[in-house]
Amino acid sequence: MPSQRISVKFGGASGQGINTIGVLLVRALKRDGQRVFAYREYPSLIKGGIASYQVDISNKEINSSSRYCNILLAFTPNSLNEYLKDVKENGIIVYDRKDINLTDEQKLYIEKKNISSIFLDSENIALEAGGIKIMSNIVVLGFLWRILESKLDILVSVVLRHFENKNVDLKAEENCVRAGYNSATFRPEYAKKIDKPKKEMFNNNNGYVMTGNNAIALGAISAGVRAYYAYPMTPSTSIFKYMGEHAKETGILVKQAENEITAVQMAMGSMYMGTRSLVATSGGGFDLMSETISCAGMSETPLVVILSQRTGAATGLPTWTGASDLNIALKAGHGEFPRVVIATSDAKSSYTLIQKAFNLAEIYQLPVILLMEKQISESIFNFKEMPRVEKIERGCIEKTEGEVQRYQITDTGISPRWIPSKDKKPYLANSDEHSQDGSSIEDSERTIAMANKRLKKLETLTKELPEPTLYGDKNPDLVFVSWGSVKNTVIDAIEADKDSRKVGYLHYEYISPLKTERLEELIATNKRLVLVENNQTGQLGNFIKENIGYEFKEKLLKYDGRPFFVEDILDFLKN
Amino acid sequence: MGVKITDYNSPNIPTWCPGCGNFAIHASLKKALSEMDISPSELFMSFDIGCNGNGADMITSYGFKGLHGRSIPLAIGAHLANRRMTTIADIGDGGCFHEGLDHLVHAIRSNYNITILIHNNASFALTTGQATVTTPKEKPMYGLPKGIPERNISIPEFILNQDPSFYARTYSGNLLQMGEIFKAAIGNKGCSIVEVLQLCPTYNREFTPEWAKENIKDVNEIENYNADSIESARTVLTNNSPLYTGIIYQNKTLPTFYDSLESRKDSITELVDEVKTHDIKNLLKYFE
Repeated sequence: MPSQRISVKFGGASGQGINTIGVLLVRALKRDGQRVFAYREYPSLIKGGIASYQVDISNKEINSSSRYCNILLAFTPNSLNEYLKDVKENGIIVYDRKDINLTDEQKLYIEKKNISSIFLDSENIALEAGGIKIMSNIVVLGFLWRILESKLDILVSVVLRHFENKNVDLKAEENCVRAGYNSATFRPEYAKKIDKPKKEMFNNNNGYVMTGNNAIALGAISAGVRAYYAYPMTPSTSIFKYMGEHAKETGILVKQAENEITAVQMAMGSMYMGTRSLVATSGGGFDLMSETISCAGMSETPLVVILSQRTGAATGLPTWTGASDLNIALKAGHGEFPRVVIATSDAKSSYTLIQKAFNLAEIYQLPVILLMEKQISESIFNFKEMPRVEKIERGCIEKTEGEVQRYQITDTGISPRWIPSKDKKPYLANSDEHSQDGSSIEDSERTIAMANKRLKKLETLTKELPEPTLYGDKNPDLVFVSWGSVKNTVIDAIEADKDSRKVGYLHYEYISPLKTERLEELIATNKRLVLVENNQTGQLGNFIKENIGYEFKEKLLKYDGRPFFVEDILDFLKN
Repeated sequence: MGVKITDYNSPNIPTWCPGCGNFAIHASLKKALSEMDISPSELFMSFDIGCNGNGADMITSYGFKGLHGRSIPLAIGAHLANRRMTTIADIGDGGCFHEGLDHLVHAIRSNYNITILIHNNASFALTTGQATVTTPKEKPMYGLPKGIPERNISIPEFILNQDPSFYARTYSGNLLQMGEIFKAAIGNKGCSIVEVLQLCPTYNREFTPEWAKENIKDVNEIENYNADSIESARTVLTNNSPLYTGIIYQNKTLPTFYDSLESRKDSITELVDEVKTHDIKNLLKYFE
């Protein structure tokens, strides 16, 4: 049975608290047995502009958004104008501002699409319920909960839990939820319009809801990360927030550095010394880190950098998503040195891959770049079980007696590495080309030997890495190929349109070094292969071409700051 | 058995110019460390790029020759991970006051317990003599036949303005003073900055041992000099003749960065001791 999906969108301005009610809705829906996915759009400013929070609701696991919504709750005239066109036929609009005046064109659209347009006097309802003006949001949430025909107690308990340690009048919050739910504005036909997905209850309060950045932080904590070096840059910043707010509990050292150059240098220093440390940034900050990535490559110092992408060159669209930094992840840093590039796609993979990233960085003694996107970092994912904890593997030797040398040439290319301590042999990590003992050299013979040794590590590593995963139909006619959050949309689209077509999806989690066997099998059988990427030039496609000479004939590329919506894939399949 | 100065020797032959101040700086540093009974395995040194950085493989330590201008944040990262290691960031006037000035300011402000050793030879020497903030005005330099058009920065005044934990100046021709100052800097709990006025017979020819002999005086020659007072420090620094060396300023009351961290308050281990799987069961509750 294909998945069912409805979408609820809150529209307003930055600073109006729509994130809070979005999160409350997500938590309440999860408790009520729905599967949810939540996606934020917001401008790069503190107050004003147009911001939205969309919650997609399904009977099955979903990890992407619809371009359209069934219910729009608009808190400002601007947001109503912006999002009205996205409201589906038979949908509902709820607005709570008296100064919203619809144009004739909008009125016609509403009529034509049979949309119910509801004015809810939420501010008055809040005041009458003993609340204050700002609680009108909670009134709207209560009203929405009634339309969704869900149990009031669930929402009340979620709201109370959310506000319990905050300085608010809990009784008033509860009364506002109830007042919204019981508002006389409600009519049974509103609820009938919305075709709600089936509910399913499973254990532990129906799983988890968290953002990709939450999952990264949790994964880092699991992996034994003991230092986090921060410099703010959207969309990576909330990892810093989580680490900082839980530092007392975890004992992790959190340091806000003066810039990204400092943050990554500190991380490299800490990793050299033998702890695990993490930095996260976005494209611009990553540019500043690139000299250090080169240095980690040359000195064979383990390093893990998270690069959460947004759209555009320079400042671009700073609060919007994209996947246009694969090129810099693959190529940043001067000179030639081995590296690993991995991309997460959702919360679960973020939790797992950050742990794997540290193991790879330490065993192979090289920089690992973990790609994310705003779509992964800030969207809320809902899943049943946490993935298992990865075993920590560091590849260190315990004793340094005898002739052991830090940059010893070996069959695998991997030299002995040890954690600096009083009872071990001191060594020099060197960014200059060096001999096996770390001393600077300039002669041809040893330069070649050492460069070959470093590159040999990639050969060893490539054998260990998994091939990309093929999802969907076992014998597909058409295969989408991509990386990152595209996976979520394509798989959701396949689920929604399962019966009509034989569609597969090849997902690259480990991008560099590139594994090509599975892809080459698909090429050899003349499958219809479609490259899908959230960038302008098809960067993974170009990297594949660079590796095996294959050029995708069909490309579906999107670079407007928005993620792929389910309809983007479904429409492509229809045409 | 105590640490010997020769424990610090490396098999590599120095590549510095004859007469370079680095020979004496290294000798004094090795002497100071061995006298403090710190072994090469208990020392982390980060090196900049430049003539000082070419000394990275001339001294045995847990060393890291990194990138130009970055030896300070690299050292901080290493220090925070394992405070059992004595940590020294080695850097030149070019790397410290050009490429990486931000790092110096924030290191002093944050007050990590490390030593920053600034080799001041008034030039980018390794790249064959470009001007730095300390190159005398009107002195012809590489690419600047008429000298620098800008003003200088006074290193000691700049550092004092950041309210450091420790600032000392010494001279590469005075081995004994250098050694004593290195010991005091390493022994100081906080961010200790040592500026070495470094002989460079190739690109800083005006600064000769003869000039130094006439113009450099030990601050201890001033009767009752009080290094605890920033006013005294400023007073001796306003005058460049004589140039005073010695421990110019020390503020023993400043807390270090690490000691100010709430999250590390009760820790008895170092970050390097703590890399293991940490249970996230409690943290997960919030996401249920």
